[in-house]
Amino acid sequence: MALLFIFLSLFSFGETTPTDEKVVGVFYLTPLFGHIHQSSARTSASLTTVQCGHPVKVIESSKVEVSSDWAYVQVADYKGFVLKYYLSPKRPECFQGKYPKFFDALNMDLAELYYWGRLYDHYVQNETRVK
Amino acid sequence: MIITFRMKLALSSFLLLTVPFLHAQTEKLQEEKELEVVNFQSIKRVLLEDGLSQAAEQKKQQVSVMKTEQTNLEMARFNYPPEDQVWGFVSEYWLIKNAQVLGWDFEKPDYGIENSFRSTLETLGFYQKKFKILLINTPSTVRASLPGSDGEMILLLSVPFIRSLDLSKLEISLFLLEDYFRLEAGYFKKAVGTEKLTKLSGTSFYGQKADMSMIEELLKNYSTQINQKGYNFQQQFEITKKMDNFLKGNPELWNVYFRLLGKLQNFIKTNSQYKDYVRMYPSPEMQLKWISPEEKVL
Repeated sequence: MALLFIFLSLFSFGETTPTDEKVVGVFYLTPLFGHIHQSSARTSASLTTVQCGHPVKVIESSKVEVSSDWAYVQVADYKGFVLKYYLSPKRPECFQGKYPKFFDALNMDLAELYYWGRLYDHYVQNETRVK
Repeated sequence: MIITFRMKLALSSFLLLTVPFLHAQTEKLQEEKELEVVNFQSIKRVLLEDGLSQAAEQKKQQVSVMKTEQTNLEMARFNYPPEDQVWGFVSEYWLIKNAQVLGWDFEKPDYGIENSFRSTLETLGFYQKKFKILLINTPSTVRASLPGSDGEMILLLSVPFIRSLDLSKLEISLFLLEDYFRLEAGYFKKAVGTEKLTKLSGTSFYGQKADMSMIEELLKNYSTQINQKGYNFQQQFEITKKMDNFLKGNPELWNVYFRLLGKLQNFIKTNSQYKDYVRMYPSPEMQLKWISPEEKVL
């Protein structure tokens, strides 16, 4: 019983913070690279760049209002915003994971990684469907 | 008597000397016995009966299969992507390499083009088509359609061009439709593709250095095609006719397209900033002629 109490205490400590934030789930970034944004706008500043398959904690907080297209997330110490379109509940098959040596051979610099993340923020995309 | 005794003694002495020797000759040595235990042949039958030999063979096969799989996995890490994925990757890599020139990293209004274009495609019966639109902030590159991965298309359109021509959402969609047809016709891949791409895609460079000149060549060809070469008259004729055929069933769309070409023709003539457009996409004037209804001679 005591052990259960300790376990539950630890669990609740890990899942919430004093600011009533709650982890909704762990999702994975799907594009090659992406940014954790300072605010929920495509052109807002980047807090950090993450690559495909990186896990992000989607969090809920009564103090943070998020539009339907965006998710409030935590990656390491950074808390920011990512377009929901680029999150998947399953770990995706990433290009750099499938062809790691080819990808390494490109020797991309930091600016290129940054722009690759920005590119996905600037795309407007859709898919036609049978009505 | 004495002779008989001597003979008996000699015989017993002989027997005493030879019997231990004969005994040693018939009984197996300890080492020999040990060797027999170690010798697989001698216990083979026992092992076969126990199924141990079969288990050992299965284990051997498992190890062999695992080793082969491990080698295959290691070799797969050195694979060039298949052609379809190279196209999508290089299209985006070209956009990254030309980010500053194309100026796509800027704040832009939400034109709602993606919904308008989707609706146009659906009206014309194009389903299950995935597209990405990237608005660029330069008058130098007006438009382009690039191949994406998994049959996706990446469409570029200049915001200064949209503003200068004061294009409506529907007009933009028809512009994008032309670009979609160009991509579907395979003109871009044909103009940009290289022998190296066909040769290396999907193969492994295990044990060698990756030949990245394949990517460099493609990037160079992308720039040439998008900024200098464009499309020829024959290709433009085919695309314009295709537009004509598809839009004829929807007179409203056809009229918008016809007016758009007229608008474009006048704009290009009067605006020197876009003088290269006619060289890349010849030519709105000819396009108008190609789709104009024939005048009836009374």
